[in-house]
Amino acid sequence: MADVAMGAAALVEERSPGRSKALASLKFGDLVFGRLTQAAAALVLLILSGVILSLLLGAIPAIRAFGLGFLVSEQWNPVTEKFGALAPIIGTVTTSIIAMAIAAPVGVGIAVFLTELCPQALRRPIGIAIELLAGIPSIIYGIWGLFVLAPFVQAYVEPAIIAVFGPIPVLSSVFAGPPYGIGTLTAGFVLAIMVVPFIAAVSRDVFDTVPPVLKESAYGIGCTSWEVVRRVVIPYTRVGVIGGMMLGLGRALGETMAVTFVIGNAHKITASLLAPGTTISATIANEFTEADGQLYTSSLIALALILFVITFLVLAAARLMLARLERRKGR
Amino acid sequence: MERFASRRRSSAIMMGLSTGVTAFGLVFLALILGTLLWKGLAGLNLAVFTQMTPPPGGKGGLLNAIAGSLAMTSLGVIVGAPLGMLAGTYLAEYGRYSKLASLVRFINDILLSAPSIVIGLFVYQIIVAPLGHFSALAGVVALAILVVPVVVRTTEDMLLLVPAPLREAAAALGLPRSHVILKVAFRAARAGIITGVLLAIARVSGETAPLLFTSLNNQFWSSNLNAPMASLPAVIFQFALSPYADWQQLAWTGALLITLTVLTLSVLARWLSASRTNK
Amino acid sequence: MNATPETMQNAAPKITVRDLKFYYGDSLALKGVSLPLHANKATAFIGPSGCGKSTLLRVFNRMYELYPHQRAEGEVMFDGLNILDPGQDVNLLRSRIGMVFQKPTPFPMSIYENIAFGIRLYEKLPKSEMDGRVEKALRGAALWDEVSGKLNASGLSLSGGQQQRLCIARTVAIRPEVILLDEPCSALDPISTAKIEELIDELTDEYTIAIVTHSMQQAARVSQYTAFMYLGDLVEFGETNHVFTAPRDKRTQDYITGRFG
Repeated sequence: MADVAMGAAALVEERSPGRSKALASLKFGDLVFGRLTQAAAALVLLILSGVILSLLLGAIPAIRAFGLGFLVSEQWNPVTEKFGALAPIIGTVTTSIIAMAIAAPVGVGIAVFLTELCPQALRRPIGIAIELLAGIPSIIYGIWGLFVLAPFVQAYVEPAIIAVFGPIPVLSSVFAGPPYGIGTLTAGFVLAIMVVPFIAAVSRDVFDTVPPVLKESAYGIGCTSWEVVRRVVIPYTRVGVIGGMMLGLGRALGETMAVTFVIGNAHKITASLLAPGTTISATIANEFTEADGQLYTSSLIALALILFVITFLVLAAARLMLARLERRKGR
Repeated sequence: MERFASRRRSSAIMMGLSTGVTAFGLVFLALILGTLLWKGLAGLNLAVFTQMTPPPGGKGGLLNAIAGSLAMTSLGVIVGAPLGMLAGTYLAEYGRYSKLASLVRFINDILLSAPSIVIGLFVYQIIVAPLGHFSALAGVVALAILVVPVVVRTTEDMLLLVPAPLREAAAALGLPRSHVILKVAFRAARAGIITGVLLAIARVSGETAPLLFTSLNNQFWSSNLNAPMASLPAVIFQFALSPYADWQQLAWTGALLITLTVLTLSVLARWLSASRTNK
Repeated sequence: MNATPETMQNAAPKITVRDLKFYYGDSLALKGVSLPLHANKATAFIGPSGCGKSTLLRVFNRMYELYPHQRAEGEVMFDGLNILDPGQDVNLLRSRIGMVFQKPTPFPMSIYENIAFGIRLYEKLPKSEMDGRVEKALRGAALWDEVSGKLNASGLSLSGGQQQRLCIARTVAIRPEVILLDEPCSALDPISTAKIEELIDELTDEYTIAIVTHSMQQAARVSQYTAFMYLGDLVEFGETNHVFTAPRDKRTQDYITGRFG
């Protein structure tokens, strides 16, 4: 058997001299390249594990000192070294909710406009404008919020809100003055403006996946535009739109720069949305480099861990939803 | 007949609303960009590009910040992009059907949208704390970690678009796997992959939070990677929150510069991917 | 059910398939096929969609290995070696058994580069020699006259028929011994098809050809041997004119006369 193989190999060599040698010299590089890509992929895993691990390790002193009470304590005193995450957590959640409450309908509304109403010629320019907006760094929104939006809100919007809700029993404390300008509400506004282009772009992409025949059949039986959107487009793309919104929520939760400039940085929980507050990322951004003492630093890292867990859960859920949509597309 | 009229009315209202919010959104875009241009241009002069950041109340420019941002962003991309391309290649080629690939894809998407401040803290823990000081190097690592997921995603997506028959034709000539990928698939996906890198650059150009705990900031010129380095976002952060008018002016001008860079890169990336589909 | 070849060549066949089984996952797509590919002859594979002819073709150069869950069992003897043996150098194999696909697939490079690319893998040639080899390959694919003036143009700028001939030139350039053609004309217009059929006729002098085709007329025109396949079985194999004028199996008869397929 061996000499048959030898004979055949000799035949090959005779017909294509040097060919096996040429291929052999490539084999090593081929193997190396394959392993290299695998290593790079493993590195991505390593980075994430590293992030989680380092956060955990850094947070241990704080966890040991405060236990689970950390999550519900409003204290934040660097002098007595008593820290609690409640104010930042509530601030993060509140600003994100305000942002999503505004950005979700506005973003979807823009997507509806782009896919149903917009004249064909304007479709691309406006679409591009929205995408460019989505790419503007958040620090720009931050300083714009600080120098332009906050004074405006202080001068016109907040007094109006205070006046409107003043006489109403419960809501009057939610919207109680004085009109600082900066505060949780303004931070929510800035965050909303930042998230809108993202939601609009994702929703528009998702709306575009609706097969034209589906919409045409609806129009064909006499549906109005709104009915087509409500009865055909949105049910068809429901999962994708929700997934996109959750992605937007994930971003809003983790946003630092857009919020830090206008949140006011007060470690207090107040009933009023118009008062200053703080978010997890704003706290970390403002205090980390000044923090001295192991417990202070560890508490800030514990905050980061909490934020990471929250955004991880939201993003994982969003991804699962979008994965279901992809599978329906037959990818 | 009445039903029809009321349906038409609801539709008109809702559609009117959606037009309204679009106009609303575009107005805000115009407002933001307009303010940026107005305030930023007011401080735009030669000094911005030739002088260092001044002490409060002094006259100066943004040279060290611009240089620092350019340096750290370039290095971050030089480190992160090849890594991202390799990992993306694994996901699309060698590991396309493997369990490891599905896990990496999932993790990558998480990293893509994770709060960048958390990444900054991570790099602080692994580089700044052990070394005992802030450094541009740490900043570069943080930016690289932000670049990787973007490049992984776009590389994988672009490679998956390369048609199977093209790959088979290359394999049929006897090309080993790495050659099929590097010499044929990459070539076919070239424009898309470059677009991905441009988008990654655009993304990290404006990132502030990760730099706050890694490269910190530096009032003076520095070319030492092992020391804190100025960057535009960090300077903007410091100057905008200060009570000094000239610092605030520089913050606006810096913001304008960043925005112009990001917009230019995004437009370039679009134009590249459009010209590819036109071919 | 296997058919034995009607006539035996004096020389051993170039490739001998023995009891080849092919699986997509758990489902059996080729149910134990045996047949010879005679040297310097063209063998056509015909049969209705899904009969396994493309699957069979893609075994010869182990193209199926690019995908998971596909495997082949049995023997495919090529110059005394079993192609399916895992120890075989598959890249070397593919340099000796070339393939042209259904859809023309020029590489995203210039016409010149498309051809030189494959050659460079195996031989280091000075430019003048490379030029000569490229010209020879293009002439061998009846394409030289049409592209000699624009060798630097992108391969994608050619028409469909020209692209397919470019793919043939690319395959021929690395001097294989066998050429596999998987429905090479199905995406082309009749004129290009005619040109390529003429080409196949010429190529048969130098190479062993295996061609899968949906068109029986094409099979009758270009091949000396024909294999009729149905549902993963080799139903009939023999000299082309015998298979078409006096088929032995009723299924062959039905297919040829258009009762199904």
